[in-house]
Amino acid sequence: MLLPYVKHSEHPSARLLCSDCFGRGWALRAKAHVVAGYKNSSNTHFIDAQCYIAVMYRVFSLLALVSMASPAFPAPPQKSFDEVVKQATSARNEDRANEAIGLYREAVKMRPSWDEGWLWLGTVLYDQDRFPEAQDSFAHFVAIKPQPGPAWAMKGLCEFEMHDYPQARTDLQTWGRGDIRGGGDLTEVAAFHWAMLLTRQGEFVRALYMLADRARHDGESPPLIEAMGLASLRMPNLPEDYPAEFRERVWLAGKSAFYASMHDYARSEEYSQRLLSKYGQQPEVHYLEGTHRLFELKPADAAQEFRKELQISPQHSPAMLELARIDIDTGDQAEALSLARHATEIDPANPDAHHILGRALLAAGQTKEGSQELEAAERLAPNNAAIHFHLATAYKELGRKQDADREMSTYVSLKEKSQDLDSGERRDAKPSLEAPE
Amino acid sequence: MILMLVPAVLALSISLPPQSASQPSRSAGTADHSVAFDELAQTAKRAREEIHDDDAIEAYRQALLLKPEWDEGLWYLGTLQYKKENYFEACTILRRFLAQDPGSGSGWAMLGLSEFESHDYLRAQDHLQRGMTLGLADNQKLIARVRYVIAILLTRSEQFDESMDVLFTLMTNGADTSSLVEPFGLAALRLPFLPSEIPPGRREMIRMAGTATIALEGRRNEDAEKLFSELEAKYPDQPGVHFLIGAYFLSAHPDEGIKELKQEIEISPAHVPARIRLAEEYIKQQNLDQGISLAQETLKLAPEAPLAHMVLGEGLIAKGDSAGGIRELETARDSLPDQTEILWDLFRAYSAAGRKEDASRAKDEIERLGKQEDSAH
Repeated sequence: MLLPYVKHSEHPSARLLCSDCFGRGWALRAKAHVVAGYKNSSNTHFIDAQCYIAVMYRVFSLLALVSMASPAFPAPPQKSFDEVVKQATSARNEDRANEAIGLYREAVKMRPSWDEGWLWLGTVLYDQDRFPEAQDSFAHFVAIKPQPGPAWAMKGLCEFEMHDYPQARTDLQTWGRGDIRGGGDLTEVAAFHWAMLLTRQGEFVRALYMLADRARHDGESPPLIEAMGLASLRMPNLPEDYPAEFRERVWLAGKSAFYASMHDYARSEEYSQRLLSKYGQQPEVHYLEGTHRLFELKPADAAQEFRKELQISPQHSPAMLELARIDIDTGDQAEALSLARHATEIDPANPDAHHILGRALLAAGQTKEGSQELEAAERLAPNNAAIHFHLATAYKELGRKQDADREMSTYVSLKEKSQDLDSGERRDAKPSLEAPE
Repeated sequence: MILMLVPAVLALSISLPPQSASQPSRSAGTADHSVAFDELAQTAKRAREEIHDDDAIEAYRQALLLKPEWDEGLWYLGTLQYKKENYFEACTILRRFLAQDPGSGSGWAMLGLSEFESHDYLRAQDHLQRGMTLGLADNQKLIARVRYVIAILLTRSEQFDESMDVLFTLMTNGADTSSLVEPFGLAALRLPFLPSEIPPGRREMIRMAGTATIALEGRRNEDAEKLFSELEAKYPDQPGVHFLIGAYFLSAHPDEGIKELKQEIEISPAHVPARIRLAEEYIKQQNLDQGISLAQETLKLAPEAPLAHMVLGEGLIAKGDSAGGIRELETARDSLPDQTEILWDLFRAYSAAGRKEDASRAKDEIERLGKQEDSAH
């Protein structure tokens, strides 16, 4: 049975990531004090104690025999596992980190299956920024306890610091699938790193969705601004590896995106204008401006910006798709079709391109072709609720009632899931970590 | 292909100390282990002293396999990696060193510098500041470098006033001012970039602002004013320019200062420091309604800006709203407990309101901070 979040001061045998001793603000170092408690550890301790007594009985018997056989060479006094654990706990609680590390190492050497020991060892090492060693400890822990939980986030964070980004992303995703996320600060730090990895992978919209959530939750900070700037300008980089000459535009774009996410449009506009005045001829700037106008529900202004972007970057498929979307709403089917077709040619694996083309075809009365494009979109993004909705509409028009009903029911189910994820109540306990695809 | 590999193999054989040909095993007896370690430590030391850095690095690595917590080895390996510009490796090793010796100011400083070079700016700032707090002995060159990096990182994280303080300290301590022109310019114009991140077209403006600020600090006001006029003429629409000039003029030519600050707010409506300085000046000139209103507007933009609360508090007290003013001053104090200006305001306000105990507490706090500052100097 999984235990609920418990502060270790309240329930020492069921310790989980504790927000009280975790992280200090934006240090992004997440000075975590972690311990397991995935299962009812009092039971585990009881079983451990029984085994321990049996083993120790045999050890003492052997020791007695050895000491009788060779009295001139008495065996050096051995510390018991429990003694080592007790000393390790005291060292950790009294901030004697090095001693704690040595003792936890000794304890897990004595009993490699002791999951809690690996977790504490990893945490104390992480606290000292000793990421390769901490990663190794968390790897041991998750090998024993593979269920998604805070240790996966800690492992992922270590890998991020070790520049092993693909593994970091995989581990953070595993963490995100779990029901126990750990303390608020761990969630904050891990979600932020995950968003940076999404940007690096070119998944800018998902990254921005997560970063905007962080912005509303945590407020402004220079690292958040930088991360938002990179995602807004669709730069597949991390804050530490983008070219220095991009710093100003990343900062301006980040500020603009931050204030837009806080619905402070006046301030967002101030930074947007600075960005436009200095970098208006550079790629991505008008596209960003267009998305801000859409955010403010000004589609005509947005369309203008997307057109400007297409003048500067003629192959910019996201700008084509945004413009096509606006065209569908305003009834310019010819342009919508042309833009969406072009976007699918440039980016055939992009579900959004097939989705918009499908919608444009439906709007132009080409229902059968439209349904085929929507089916292609569905294959690429099966969890996108909107695609199922439009597919249901297409099937209904084609008289395929059963298919329409199936798609509508998938749509409703996905929509419910996404609303559940977005609900305020859920956000407090388990912040949204995934943007809708 | 084989020929291409030859130099690499040769280099490897040169870099490996003789002892490492047969790597000592952990399972060997303690005496063998100790001998092997001593030999490697000697080899590493000799190579380092003879400036054979690659050999030294390899020998230190081998020795540390035998004794992972050897602090001297960790230190030299870390600093050699830094010297070789292997900053990521330097960070990893120096963190292990600091785990052994967390009180080493130089260790934190070297780690911070390595993190700075790895573009891990947040950690770098934290660790460099920790290094300075713990002390860097008499290593003036290291102290100057650490201060410089702290200053430019403070600017990058939008802590412009704090950055200015560190830059002034560097200048007072005799740093070469030519290296400070761009850092001063960036902090003065409130542009959160490192000198290496200045966009090509903006360097001249930033250098002009920096030179003017250095002139001001060196009490060469005429030079500074001349540069300010040039800056304004050349960059009248750039954010930050009018604020810099306005802030200077407030003391010498207040009306000019007000004009400049108003211009800044037109260009950058959300410029919180410009709004605070202008509100402060209005209150100073007994233009209380305008000052209070501007301070209130500023707090809508930045509800937690402590100096806006301070200025609003001063304005309300001047207008006779003692309770409201004290409330604002207390809010400011809670955010900036070490700001003596706020404490003096509170001392006067409490005294005028007959709150003797509160006034006495504020006075004690002022005295405590004064003593603290004296001992720091």
